[in-house]
Amino acid sequence: MANIFPRWTNWLPIKLLVCVAVVAASIVSGMAYYFTPKYTRVGYQPTQPVEFDHSLHVNQLGMDCRYCHTHVEKSSHSNVPATQTCMNCHTQIKALSPKLEPVRQSWKTGQPVPWVRIHKAPDYVYFNHAVHVNRGVSCVACHGHVNRMKVVWHDQPQSMGWCLECHRAPENHLRPLDQVTNMDWEPPTGTSQRELGEKFVREWNVNPPVSCSGCHR
Amino acid sequence: MKRVFQHPPAPENGRTYWRSLGEYSKTPDFEEWLHREFPAGAAEWEQDPLSRRNFLRLMGASLALAGLGLSGCRRPEAHLVPFTQSPEWVVPGRTMSFATAQPRRRGAIPLLATTFDGRPIKMEGNPLHPVSQGNSDNHSQSSILDLYDPARRRHLTFQGKKATPAQFEAEIQRIRTEASASGGATLGILADETVSPTRERLRAELLRQFPQSTWAVYEPLSPGRDAEASAAAFGPGTQFRADLSAASAILAVDCDFLGSDDGDLTDTRKFAAGRRVRKPGDKISRLYVAEPRFSITGSMADHRLRLRAGEVGAFLVELGRQLRGIRGTPELSAALTNAPDLAPPQGVDAAWIRECAADLAANAGRSVLMVGRRQPVGIQALALAINSALGAIGTTLVVQPAFSPAAASIRDLTARLQTGAIKSLVILGGNPVYNAPTDLAWADLLASVPNSLHLAELPNATSTKTTWFVPGTHYLEAWGDALATDGSYLSIQPAIQPLWAGESQLELLCRLIGKAKPIGPALIKETFAARTNQSGLPLEEAWKNFVREGFLPNSTNNAIKAVNSTSLAALAAKIPETLEASTDSLEAVFIPSPAVDDGRYLNNGWMQEWPDPMTKLTWDNAVLVSKKTAESLGLRNEIVKGILVADVVRATLAGQTVEAPVMIAPGHVDFAVSLPLGYGQDELGPVAKGSGFNAYRLRRSDGDYLASGLKIQKTGATRKLAVTQEHQAMEGRDLVREATLAEFSKDPGWVKKVGMDGHIPPNQNFYPAPPLNGEYQWAMVVDLSTCTGCNACVTACTAENNIPIVGKDQVMKGREMHWIRVDRYFTGEPEEPEAVAQPVACMQCENAPCETVCPVNATVHNEEGLNVMAYNRCIGTRYCANNCPYKVRRFNFFDYNQRALDKLYLGPIAPKGTEETIKLQKNPNVTVRMRGVMEKCTFCVQRIEEAKISARVKARDSANIRIPVGSLQTACQQACPADAIVFGDMKNEKEEVGKLRNLPQNYSLLEYLNVRPRLTYLGRVRNPNPAMPGARTSYIPSHGHGDSHGSDQAEGGH
Repeated sequence: MANIFPRWTNWLPIKLLVCVAVVAASIVSGMAYYFTPKYTRVGYQPTQPVEFDHSLHVNQLGMDCRYCHTHVEKSSHSNVPATQTCMNCHTQIKALSPKLEPVRQSWKTGQPVPWVRIHKAPDYVYFNHAVHVNRGVSCVACHGHVNRMKVVWHDQPQSMGWCLECHRAPENHLRPLDQVTNMDWEPPTGTSQRELGEKFVREWNVNPPVSCSGCHR
Repeated sequence: MKRVFQHPPAPENGRTYWRSLGEYSKTPDFEEWLHREFPAGAAEWEQDPLSRRNFLRLMGASLALAGLGLSGCRRPEAHLVPFTQSPEWVVPGRTMSFATAQPRRRGAIPLLATTFDGRPIKMEGNPLHPVSQGNSDNHSQSSILDLYDPARRRHLTFQGKKATPAQFEAEIQRIRTEASASGGATLGILADETVSPTRERLRAELLRQFPQSTWAVYEPLSPGRDAEASAAAFGPGTQFRADLSAASAILAVDCDFLGSDDGDLTDTRKFAAGRRVRKPGDKISRLYVAEPRFSITGSMADHRLRLRAGEVGAFLVELGRQLRGIRGTPELSAALTNAPDLAPPQGVDAAWIRECAADLAANAGRSVLMVGRRQPVGIQALALAINSALGAIGTTLVVQPAFSPAAASIRDLTARLQTGAIKSLVILGGNPVYNAPTDLAWADLLASVPNSLHLAELPNATSTKTTWFVPGTHYLEAWGDALATDGSYLSIQPAIQPLWAGESQLELLCRLIGKAKPIGPALIKETFAARTNQSGLPLEEAWKNFVREGFLPNSTNNAIKAVNSTSLAALAAKIPETLEASTDSLEAVFIPSPAVDDGRYLNNGWMQEWPDPMTKLTWDNAVLVSKKTAESLGLRNEIVKGILVADVVRATLAGQTVEAPVMIAPGHVDFAVSLPLGYGQDELGPVAKGSGFNAYRLRRSDGDYLASGLKIQKTGATRKLAVTQEHQAMEGRDLVREATLAEFSKDPGWVKKVGMDGHIPPNQNFYPAPPLNGEYQWAMVVDLSTCTGCNACVTACTAENNIPIVGKDQVMKGREMHWIRVDRYFTGEPEEPEAVAQPVACMQCENAPCETVCPVNATVHNEEGLNVMAYNRCIGTRYCANNCPYKVRRFNFFDYNQRALDKLYLGPIAPKGTEETIKLQKNPNVTVRMRGVMEKCTFCVQRIEEAKISARVKARDSANIRIPVGSLQTACQQACPADAIVFGDMKNEKEEVGKLRNLPQNYSLLEYLNVRPRLTYLGRVRNPNPAMPGARTSYIPSHGHGDSHGSDQAEGGH
C-alpha cells in the first residue's frame, strides 16, 4: 500500500504552526496599535519650535486662556496666538532670551512661527469651540490640565465614542460659565458635579446633538 | 425574491406630462431609464479593456503590497501657522461679508461676497438693496468660479511674450504722446458696457484731453435699439424698463424677461409676487407670450403663441389696430398711420390678438407690453406707443435717465479704423474678434492697427490678435462702482487682492489720462463726492455707509412720463416688412445662451454643466428647430442609452457656413431656427474647449438679431449631446398638478383629488418610524405657481455645497451631481405644448426608503426630520439610490475633485490633485466628497447647525436657544428670485413653512408610497382667459375610476 501522506507532509504541522503564529501575532500587534489610546494620539507630545511653558504662564503668571486664544468664544476654531500677542510682553520681558529667538525672528521677518499641531479633528468632523465654552464646557474637559503642562501633550482620546460620552451625559462636565477657563475648578463643597450639571442642563436647556449631522456635514 | 412595486395605473383620460419627445412617444430606451436609478452602463465599467474580475485581482494584490508598509498609517506632523500681526476684524474660522456688485451690461446686481480666511467663497444678494433683496441669479452665483479660473493669465503679454510692468508703462506713455500730438485722432477705444459712473467720468476726462479720439461701446447682445426709441419718445438720455409690481396683464412679445433677455431680479420677483395664490379669492396676473422658441417666460404663460421673430412687426401692428378701436390715443394713431400697413401674421388666429388686446385694454394702467430689446427700432417705437395707449408709462413702464451717454458704435469705429487714422486701439473687456458682426472682419482689422491693447479677465480670441494683453481684474478684486437696473448707485468693493497681476479698467483709464494708478477707492470716492455733493465729515460718514451697505439710498429717478408722439410716430415708420420663411429659406434668430450669455461665461464649469432650463442641454449649444421643420428637412434626434444623438447640419447664411447639431425643441415656431450664441471658443480654456459651435460666424451687422434666407443641409454626421431631460425620471402619476384660478377658487383642495391620492387606503410603515422629537422639524415647500424654472437654485446649491462638475462624458452617462434638479415637464402636443418646472431635491422622507437598505448606517434619520448622510461611513453600495423613489441621490463614480475630467478613466495613473485656485472656492463647512461616496441634498445642514450654534453661543447661560424666525435660509431658498422656495421649522406656528404645508393646495410627490416627504409642493394655478381661442377651462384631470379602485396599493410579484 502506497503512502497516503507523501514525505513533505512531515513538515506541514510546523509550517501551519508558523503561519498561525504569524497571523496571530499580526492581529495582536494590529489590535495593540490601532485600538489603544496611543493610536488616538493620547500622549503625543511633539517638540515645539519655541519652548513655550503653559504652566508658567497660567499657574505662575495667572494668565487666562483667552489672552492668547482670543477667538475661542467667537469662532469654531480656537486660534493660536499671533506673534504680535507674544511680543506684547516679550518686547519688555525676557526681551533677549535665546529661547524666544524664533518669536523675534517671526516678528522681524513676518514669517509665522510653525507651531506643531497636537489636536486634530478629522476633516469630516466639524467641531465648534465657541458653542462649547459658551455653554459651560471647560477647556480641561478636552485638553486636560494644560496649566500643569510644561510641554503640551494630547491628553484625551478625542475619538467619536469619547465625544458621545459627554454629548449623551453633559451633566458630567458642565460648570458655571465664569469657571470655564479656570483649569483647577472643583465643584464647591456640599455640591457634586452631577448635581450642578443636572441643574445647568435643566436651566440652560442643554441638549447636545447625538445624531450624525451634529458633527458631520 | 425581487419585489415589483405595482404603481397605480395612469388615469385613462388624464393629461399626460412628458419631459422629452422620447417619453412622449414611450420609446424603449426611455423605459429603460425609467426603471433604473442610473442608466444602463452608468454603473458598469465599459470602456476599459480590464474586466471587473481582473481589476479586483489587481487591486487585491496592490492592497496586499500596501499592507507591507504600515508606515503610512501614522498621522504626519502638521503645523498651525498663526498670523504674525492680526488683521483687524479677522476671526479665523468665521466668515465675513462685503457689499459689492457684479457689473452687467444693463445694470449691476447688488451682492454680498462671503469670505472665509480672506478668500471669497460664495455670493449672495444684498438683502438691503431693493433690486436683489437677498436674491441672486445664476451668473452672479457662478461669478465666484470665474475669479478662481486657472485659465486667467498671470502676466502682461507683448506680442505673445511675457512683458514687464515697466515696458507697459512705457507703452502707455507712448500712446499718450502719440495721442497728444494728434489731438486724439490716432486713439481709438472700444469698451464693453459696465454701467460705471466713474468710468464715464474718466471717459469724459479722456475726451477732454484728446477731443478727436473715438470712444465706442460694443455689446453683442445689447444693440441699443430700445434706447433709440426711448430717446424719440421721452427725449435724449432716457431709457425705460417694465415695472411689474402692479401689472395684472402682461404681454411679452419675443421677450424672455424671466430668463436670458436682460430681465433682472426685480422682474422675476415682481412677476412671481403677482402670481402667488394662497387662498381662494386671491387675484393673480395674467401673462400672454408670443415668441419663437419656448423660453421659461413662455412656460409661465397662460396663453402662448408661437410667433416668428420676423412676424413681430405684423403682430404688433395688428395688436395696435385692435387697441385703437378700444383705447385709441393720438400716439398710437400716429404711430399706426406711419407704420407700414402689414397684414396680420399668417396662421395666427385673429381672435388671439383681438382678445389679448381686449384684456390688456380692460386692465389699462395695470397692463404692459414687453418687446424683446433686440427687435428693430421701429417695433420698439410702436411698442412704446401701444404702452402709452395702455396707460403704462409711469406705472408699469418706468422711464429713467439713461445710464451712460450715447457713444460711437462698433461700426463707426470700424469705419475709422479702415481709414487708417487710428494708430493705437485700446480694447476694454469684450471680445470683438469673436463676436463682432462678420462683415466688419475684426480679425483682419486688428492686424492692420499698428498698436493694439486688450484688457480682459480671460485671454480670448481678441487677445491673440492684439499686440498687448493686459490681464484684467475680476470685480471682486478691484474697486469700482455701477448702477443697478433701478438706477441706484452701487459700490463695487473688492473682497480679495488681485490673485495675479491684474489691472482694472478704471486703473488703466486713469493711467491713460495721465494720472497715477489710484490707490484704494480714491477714484470712486471722488465720483461719490461729486454725486452726493458733499464734503468733509458728512462725506466721510456717507461714504462709509455707501461702502458698508453697498449702495446709495434714494438714488433713483423714475419721474419722466411725457411722451413725444411726433418723433415716436416717425420712428414707427421704420418697422420692417414681415420676413417670409419656408423650408428652403429659414428665419435665423440669434439668441443669448441662458448658460453662457454672449460667451463670457463659457470657461465656467458650473455654467457649462448647468442644464438649459428648457432644452436641458449641457456642455453644448445646438440649433433649435420645431418638430415640423425638422421633419420637413429630414433631421432626426435619437436617444441612445440616454444620449441624444443629433444630426449635424450645415447652416448657410449669406455665404457664411457653420456646422452644428440640431435639437428638436417642442413649442418652437416652424420655419425658423434659434441659434444660441456664445459657444465655440476653444481658445478660452480647458473647460470651454470642444463645447458647441460658434453661431457668431453667421451674424452680420444688418442681421445681428434676425436674418432670413438661412439654408440647412444635413451633413450625415451626428453629434452626441449631453441632455439631462430624461435623467432621474420618476415613474409615477401626477407629479405636477395644475388648476385654473377658477377651479382653485371652487375647490382649493383639488390636489388631493388628483391621481390616486384620494384612494390611498390606510397605510402602515413596515419599519419603526424614527423618533421625530427634535427642537425643530425642518420642512420645505416649493410653490409651483411662482417657480419659473430659472435654475438659480441649482447654481446656488453648486456653490454652497461644493458640488463637483463631472464633464460632458459623465453627464451623458447620467452621472451629473446636482443635488437639486429642475424637472421641466411638457404637456399637450409636441407642437404646441405647455410647460411646468418642478425643482426636485432630496425629499427628506420621514419613512425614508434609503435608510432601511443601507448596510452600514451611513444614511440615518435625525430627530429633526433630516435624512442625514455620513460620508465617512458610506461604502458606496448604492443600495440607497436604488431604493429612492425620487432619484435624488448622487454617486461619486470618480474622484471628480482630484482627477482631471478628461483623465477619469486612467484611475490611479492620472495625476492627482486639482488647481490651487479651485480649492480656494470650496465651502470649508461642507465636506468635499471623494470617490465611492453617495451624496444628496442635506437641506443645507451646515447652515442649520451654524444657526443652532449661533443661537446657543448667544444664549450662554439662558434657556433661550431658539433660532430667530427668518434668520436661517437654505442656499436655494436664498437665491430664488421668485421666492418660490420656503424652508423652516414646520412645528413653529410663526414660520411660513408650517402655514404653507397646511394649505389645501399642498401635496407631496408619490404620496401613495407613504414615505411622508418633508419637501412638498403647492399645486400650480394658471390664469387662462376664457375668451381666448383654445383656452382650456380645466387643468384638473377628470380621472375615470378604473377597475383597480381601492387596491392601488397592492404590491404584486412577490
